[in-house]
Amino acid sequence: MSFLKLEQIVKRFGDATVIDHVDITAERGEFVVFVGPSGCGKSTLLRMVAGLEEVSEGAIYLDGANVTDTEPAARQVSMVFQSYALFPHMSVHDNISFGLRMAKTPREEIDRRVAEAARILQIESLLQRKPRQLSGGQRQRVAIGRAIVRNPKLFLFDEPLSNLDAELRSQMRVEIARLHRDLGVTMVYVTHDQVEAMTLADRIVVLRAGRVEQIGSPADLYERPDNIFVAGFIGSPKMNFLKVSVAAVNGGAVTVRHPALAADLTLPTRHAPRVEPGEDVVLGLRPEHLSVGDGGAACLALRGEFAESLGATSQLYAQTGNGETLILQVPGRRSLAPGEGIRAGFDPAQAYLFDGAGRAI
Amino acid sequence: MVSRPAARFAHLAGLVLVFAFAMFPFYWMVSSSFKDQGDLLASPPMWLFEPTIKHYAEIWADQKVTAAIVNSLIVAVSTTALAVLLGTPAAYALARFEFRGKSDLWFWFISNRMISPIVLALPVYLLAQSLGLLDTHLVLILIYLTFNLPIVVWICTDQFRSIPPELEQAARLEGAKQFDVFWRIYLPLGLPGVAVSAIFSFIFSWNELLYALVLTRRNVQTAPVAATSFMSGYELPWGKIMATGTVIVLPVTIFALIVSRHMIRGLTMGATK
Repeated sequence: MSFLKLEQIVKRFGDATVIDHVDITAERGEFVVFVGPSGCGKSTLLRMVAGLEEVSEGAIYLDGANVTDTEPAARQVSMVFQSYALFPHMSVHDNISFGLRMAKTPREEIDRRVAEAARILQIESLLQRKPRQLSGGQRQRVAIGRAIVRNPKLFLFDEPLSNLDAELRSQMRVEIARLHRDLGVTMVYVTHDQVEAMTLADRIVVLRAGRVEQIGSPADLYERPDNIFVAGFIGSPKMNFLKVSVAAVNGGAVTVRHPALAADLTLPTRHAPRVEPGEDVVLGLRPEHLSVGDGGAACLALRGEFAESLGATSQLYAQTGNGETLILQVPGRRSLAPGEGIRAGFDPAQAYLFDGAGRAI
Repeated sequence: MVSRPAARFAHLAGLVLVFAFAMFPFYWMVSSSFKDQGDLLASPPMWLFEPTIKHYAEIWADQKVTAAIVNSLIVAVSTTALAVLLGTPAAYALARFEFRGKSDLWFWFISNRMISPIVLALPVYLLAQSLGLLDTHLVLILIYLTFNLPIVVWICTDQFRSIPPELEQAARLEGAKQFDVFWRIYLPLGLPGVAVSAIFSFIFSWNELLYALVLTRRNVQTAPVAATSFMSGYELPWGKIMATGTVIVLPVTIFALIVSRHMIRGLTMGATK
């Protein structure tokens, strides 16, 4: 049995169902990230694992035991809150040792473990300070310190980096990854930032409107999205979508047609195609898989809008004749005059097809 | 548009006016307590006079006054302690738990402050009489508690609501029991509100006259009752009354000054956040 197992979890607030029959598992030592847009239920799901929200239906198993109705304190989980939730009237030392003191741990043991946590997080010099005397990043470390000092079975992170500035965020991201590697513990991490999800996770759970859209490794989600939502959510800049029509279905391949395509495009399908000729489907192309010119087996004729230079790469915005905007991410600096005709080449193996319901074909 | 110096002057003048208005009775009481009976009754009033401390010597010698101050201290301290002890857990429950009838209960707490105290004076007297509680500390403590508890509950509920719920959740995840959460998180963080309500409670109990007059006789006279008791017979010993008044005001002032830092923080809390 998995170390953490969420089985058919439902959460209702009044008439509103915010979590709808969700199944998720995590193995011991795994780093699982719940990702999704605001309001998708990811934080609610995490809070149910913590025991801070009641489960309307379904069961949660942790380390072989059913903890669905177990008090939060008895679950042996630690949580790092988005707001850090440090106790403002207590010193850093007292914040970190709070759980140990609640468990009536002997004093020497407390001091030893707080010192150890402080060493890992490099906050030894801050132990006597109050939270208000700390910077955002330091508070974050204290919150993590409070979580690790009790050696919990499971670590929960609720958007822990969203209050930090960009530089600190990437720094803390690396530290959390290092912490996971060094401690070897199971972590469940909630974020709306797909970069955090992609960089930290062993496994990502993509949620939308209370349902699981896809579960898989970062590479899985990037390379083999199950549906148009996951395809659009994972990857930056976002995947381009073009409405194309099916010209022919031939066994394991679908041929599609679009005015901007130089020629009909035949793509192998991943699943048995559920489309008929004449039907409209969606072609997905990642910006980083498009190149300027005819290099690639397939090619789109586009009209330039403008270019954004990011230094190492440039993002080119161009339109098809139908007015659909595509982004091309190309190396180096490249300018693009409005109205300039450009050709965008790509490899059909890196193109995606989605049916009318948004499912990958 | 008023120029800045003019606006500042108007501001200052307004402040002085309000200050003078508020402080004049206090000044009159204290200055009168140092006047001879003759100077006291002089008309027009004497602003400059030969101060005397004989009224203070008199009340200090008067067993009734010292006993009354001790009675007042017993009643006010007990009432305040009980009101805080009982009111803060109730406030915590009202601030953080969801239960049926919660808003009704909250409103009910304050509704007994809507009744004019005099309306209840007779029923309370009869009740105290039949319970044999007349002229005891306990009856005053109980009746003051019914007035002070709602204040403590209201102020502290509001204060506790301003504490982020994540702190409680974090504490519970760390293994804190319900009482630990209250004792280690809510009480220390709600201290400004607790202090404010304690001051209100203390001042009310210290100054209350009506019930103290109705429910006590000789044994448990409180300070305000003692002060007014001089107004009997054929003379009005103003100097003694004023000296007693000054002595009565002193403990409250000292108590308020000590906790005023919390009080100001408490009253402005929530305004700036």
